[in-house]
Amino acid sequence: MSANTNESASVGYEAWTDALRSGSVLGVSCADCGATYGTPVAVCHDCGSRDLEPVDLPTEGTLHSVTRINVAPVGFEGPYYVGIVQLGDARITARIERDGADTAPEIETPVVLSGVIEEDENGLPAPVFTVETD
Amino acid sequence: MTRASVVGAGMTTFGVHESTLPDLFATAALSAYDDAGVDPADIDAFYFGNAMGGQTENDTHLAPTLATEVGLAGIPAQRFEDACATSANAFKNAVQAVDAGIHDTILVGGVERCTPETGKGTGEMTRIFASASHRQYEQPTGLTFPGVFALLTKRHMHEYGTTEEQLARVAVKNHGNGTRNPRAHFGSETTVEEVLDSPVVAEPFHLMDCCPFSDGAAAVVVTSDDRADSFDRPVDVTGVGHATDLVPLGLKPTLHATQAARDATTQAYDQAGITAEDIDFAEVHDCFTGAEVLASEAIGFFEDGNGGPAAAAGRTALDGDRPINPSGGLKAKGHPIGATGAAQIVELTEQLRGTAGDRQISDATRGLAHNLGGDAGTTVISVMEARA
Repeated sequence: MSANTNESASVGYEAWTDALRSGSVLGVSCADCGATYGTPVAVCHDCGSRDLEPVDLPTEGTLHSVTRINVAPVGFEGPYYVGIVQLGDARITARIERDGADTAPEIETPVVLSGVIEEDENGLPAPVFTVETD
Repeated sequence: MTRASVVGAGMTTFGVHESTLPDLFATAALSAYDDAGVDPADIDAFYFGNAMGGQTENDTHLAPTLATEVGLAGIPAQRFEDACATSANAFKNAVQAVDAGIHDTILVGGVERCTPETGKGTGEMTRIFASASHRQYEQPTGLTFPGVFALLTKRHMHEYGTTEEQLARVAVKNHGNGTRNPRAHFGSETTVEEVLDSPVVAEPFHLMDCCPFSDGAAAVVVTSDDRADSFDRPVDVTGVGHATDLVPLGLKPTLHATQAARDATTQAYDQAGITAEDIDFAEVHDCFTGAEVLASEAIGFFEDGNGGPAAAAGRTALDGDRPINPSGGLKAKGHPIGATGAAQIVELTEQLRGTAGDRQISDATRGLAHNLGGDAGTTVISVMEARA
């Protein structure tokens, strides 16, 4: 972690990517009001506090919304699924994978963190959640 | 109360243009000058919108360049960037500046080229549009803008039972209106079957649920309430609201609420001293059919969950009780990003003057423009009224 990161937000992007690559999803929780955010911010939206602490979000959750993207940007190859995943009190945007079907899974379907993709042109990671099968 | 007045309006056709950004913008601006009966010497500031010229055409610092093109070099000229809400933001700032007495008469406008005339194809332009989603927490997933609005709409469908057929009815209605607008990108009717049979871009959106990539420009002349009486056909601006929501999507408390639109609407209605019941028609940001349904609820035209059924029942048609997008909207008129907000003001101006021709809303005295930016992180709402 670079020195600059420590001078800025209490929980920055680098901490989020480090956590993701080691198999956990880092959110932040406000020490003053208890609000939880799925991705780090420097100031609490609910109360204005700067005292935001890292919190490990659950790695199992449900699909809050999901779409199958057929027309992809340059650098990505469709089709694939992108969803908003509900993890406890927080939500994050993630790549969704499922086996044996070519339609988007239903909203509220259970999903579990299964890894990261780094297809971005600058190698930025994105979480991958997989639809749980019986 | 009147905060400012629009005294001139002009725009290019929206569609595919070989013309440069300065050429396109000049067409709209000179048309607005002529409509107002002003010369450049009458303008004392230039508020200009362009969202992506740096990415699409390697063209930045456009405000003084375009000011030079339309005879305004020397006066303050500034560029606004707020994704798809770019020129509504420019308009809001112009209304505030005139209302505050900072400037007397301002040229407001926007221009953008998004078609392959830029040298960029669908994949490249899809990537550039995606730059309005969160760089770190969303873009690496491969999220696209059809995908962003698909996620908002899918949640609305889950909550309220909104159907793909109801969404298709929005496209059918807006294409129909577009046939009555000589400046629209698309001038042909479509059917529910054609929409549902078109290829899926991002489920639930078929190609025909999506606005096109368009080139175009729009401009209006804004002046103060007291100066407006000396012009032939002023239309008053009585409220402008502007609000933001949390970005990325995961931080938004209620995904399908488009909360910024609700907050901006409250501001605009309070300024104008009205409620949704007092609005005769709206131009809303239908980048995708689902976005129109969400907007129709956010501006208070329909109760939450009733936007889809209302569209299917024809209530938003030209002759419905709640007309939306008489111009054809982004869906049929087209969506040159930085020009869209100003083009909505052009449509409100023409409707409220009673000069909208075949698409005229009968007895329209008060209209609303809803211009949304990014993942609904920004919305600007403008209320305009025919001058008594």
